[in-house]
Amino acid sequence: MKHILKAGVVALGLALISSGVLAADWTPPGPIKMMIAFRAGGGADTQARLIAEALEAKLGWKFIPEQVTGKGGVNLLATLKDQPNDGTVIGMVVTESVGYNLAAAKAGITPANFTGIATTAGFQMGIVSLSSKGWNTFSDVVDAIKGGQEIRFGVMSPKLADLAYLLGKAQGVDFNIVPVKGGKAVMNGVNAGDLDIGFMAGIQAKGVASGDLVNLASGLSTPLKQTPDAPTLADLGVSYNSDGYFVFVGPAGMPADARQALAAAIAGVANDESSKAGGIIKKAFGGASTITGDALTTLLADGYKDASTLMDAAAE
Amino acid sequence: MGVLDYIWLGILSVFQGPELFSIFGLPVSVTLVMILCGFLLGIAVGATPGLAGPIAMAIALPILISVFGYTQEALLPVMGFLIGIMKGATIGGAVPAILFNTPGTPDAYMTTLDGYPMTQKGQAKKALRVAHFSSASGDTFSDIVLIVCAPFLALLVEAYLDLPEKTALLILSLSFIAAVVGGSPAKGLISTGLGLLAVYVATGEDFYPRLSLGTKQLSQGFPIATAVLGVLIIGSVFKGLEELWHEKRKSGGIAMIRDSGDQRLHFADIRRLLPFIARSAVIGTAIGALPGIGSTLAATLGYTIGKSRYQRRKAKDDPDFGTGVPEGIAATEAANSSVSGANLIPVLSLGIPGNAAAVFLILAAESIGGFNPGPSVFRFTADVVNPELVVAFGLFTAMLIANGLNWTIGGFFMRSMGIMTRIPKHILLPIVLLLTLTAIYVQETRMEAIWFALAFGVLGYLMRSLSISPLPFVIAFILGGKLEESARQAFAATGGDAFFLFTNPIALVFMLMSVGVIVFTAVKSKGAT
Repeated sequence: MKHILKAGVVALGLALISSGVLAADWTPPGPIKMMIAFRAGGGADTQARLIAEALEAKLGWKFIPEQVTGKGGVNLLATLKDQPNDGTVIGMVVTESVGYNLAAAKAGITPANFTGIATTAGFQMGIVSLSSKGWNTFSDVVDAIKGGQEIRFGVMSPKLADLAYLLGKAQGVDFNIVPVKGGKAVMNGVNAGDLDIGFMAGIQAKGVASGDLVNLASGLSTPLKQTPDAPTLADLGVSYNSDGYFVFVGPAGMPADARQALAAAIAGVANDESSKAGGIIKKAFGGASTITGDALTTLLADGYKDASTLMDAAAE
Repeated sequence: MGVLDYIWLGILSVFQGPELFSIFGLPVSVTLVMILCGFLLGIAVGATPGLAGPIAMAIALPILISVFGYTQEALLPVMGFLIGIMKGATIGGAVPAILFNTPGTPDAYMTTLDGYPMTQKGQAKKALRVAHFSSASGDTFSDIVLIVCAPFLALLVEAYLDLPEKTALLILSLSFIAAVVGGSPAKGLISTGLGLLAVYVATGEDFYPRLSLGTKQLSQGFPIATAVLGVLIIGSVFKGLEELWHEKRKSGGIAMIRDSGDQRLHFADIRRLLPFIARSAVIGTAIGALPGIGSTLAATLGYTIGKSRYQRRKAKDDPDFGTGVPEGIAATEAANSSVSGANLIPVLSLGIPGNAAAVFLILAAESIGGFNPGPSVFRFTADVVNPELVVAFGLFTAMLIANGLNWTIGGFFMRSMGIMTRIPKHILLPIVLLLTLTAIYVQETRMEAIWFALAFGVLGYLMRSLSISPLPFVIAFILGGKLEESARQAFAATGGDAFFLFTNPIALVFMLMSVGVIVFTAVKSKGAT
């Protein structure tokens, strides 16, 4: 993971340097349609719209945000792939949409149908419960199940459901894995007592800080920024993880100057913590992580490839 | 954050929202202005035969969203406007009923029975004053009940209902709506079934968009705006055009009757009317709180019960109901107006819409986002602010402001609306059609949305022609996704127990009640015919 991040930083640096020339040359030939794969008004949707707003103010480009939701981003990708690739149509999804979800959808679409532009933020995916449950770390949950308690595990995507299943298998317990729509729904379910634990990708930051929620484990390959002591999935015996990013993509074959100009512009806003968009990224995800260029192309391609091994493992 | 803090924040969110302009240094928030505009528009729309509150709400919504955007700040101005329309339309509906014997909204039909005779006797202004006073009283009473009840009901639901019970509760409300709305339970079930079928296109957990027949056009499913506006609004426009075709244009002016005598509403009148208003307000509120039973039934019941009491108590030489007595107007208007506030009880505490107006409030919340009507709204979190709860109290504040407007300027504005009856339908209907299609395109920006909307319009027309109420369709469409989701979750959460609806006592009671409601209404309607 680290090397990807490093590569990302280098690529971004290069992109910024080179696009200093190129970006100045490239201006969108018209208004840019920004498709958003998330529910209107949610955290991800707000992020996308704030980025568009900041770019309009900063560069004078015109954006038309539009919701294309459903099927974990696959609907958006299916629409986006046939759009003009001159930089006037882009879409915001998560890396999981281009990876696991495209692989699972078997709709004949692959990452090769898209040009990766830039990621904005990496998930801080934790396995979270109410602190009033009295659990401090994930092994407490496992003990509770072994003591005869049924545990409901809220997940917001099929990939996370697979991971939850594998986690139970590795720990020798069974969860009642409950699929819900979006991170907000997981949090509501946990708060209302409908769910015992659940995956949350950053939305839990406020509650964890105030002591209402607790990160029992990290769903990532790395420890969580907010709760570095929580075990990672690898520590718990699962060799897969839910590392992922919010990512802007365009249709395949986008000209290099357009791609670089867009990437530099989006990454610039995401990294600027004084901007509204940068501010909410900092609050929920502990800061931006912007991966662009070839590093992003590799990241997307790998996510798609790794998906099938995860699916096979979960199908066993 | 205590309860009072939340209430205070809610009130502030209305008054201190984004500032539109200021009068003598006093900032006027955009929400306040939107409530006022919505209210005035609502009266005008209610006073126009052929238009009704939901039509105006439907057309206004996409336009408002494109003006205010999808931010949290957009919620109160947009929903305030819609609430204004809802309230305004209720009192506006009485105007043509009283002045010209044509109800502006269906629930004002009973108002014609005594309202028009009063006009014929030269008492038009007085009749309007009675209607306004009763309407405003009923409305205020209903809002107070809403504000007191909704949070408690929500807390109860959240505390006692688990996923299987929530699923059963959804099934119960759907069967209740199917059984109660319209003439027969069978037709209601057809309407509900079609709604569920439509909403299940291309949704679900699988990555393949189900029921889409492999087409790209259907792979995103039917946008909610196309289904709701198509069936409710476009369908009624088609039906209206057909009726116009049949009846040919009625010619001839409307005879004007001179006012004569005392037009004022005296305290003695009010004291005489109050028992009728109070009884009807309770009836309307109780009916409003049950999802699916509209204000028309409330008006009918209020009028009938008012009538039987009046006949028992009246002096021998007093005029009868139906010959122009103010009590008749009061009983009807208090009942149909007190439905609107109580109707939001199931919306806010359960997320279940009870009538067309509530459907559009939910539609607004869903399109803008950041506010999901349902039990999770009323979570009184102590350390972090629950923004949805602030919005909820903001909405309550908006309703009370609309009430205040109703009491102050509503009466005057309402009495000046007689002119709206002159708008000919053959001009009005095409305008509504065009505006609705434009509104849908503004929101969906793809051509398929228009085709979907027109197709749903044809469906709505056919349903009306076969006297199948389109309301169960729309409510099923809105609740269908929620029903599937909670059923899936309940199934998973109980560890894959296929009988989760029956193994749990509360869920089992809900299921038995669902069956009971349908059987009971079926038997009853058979007995009635």
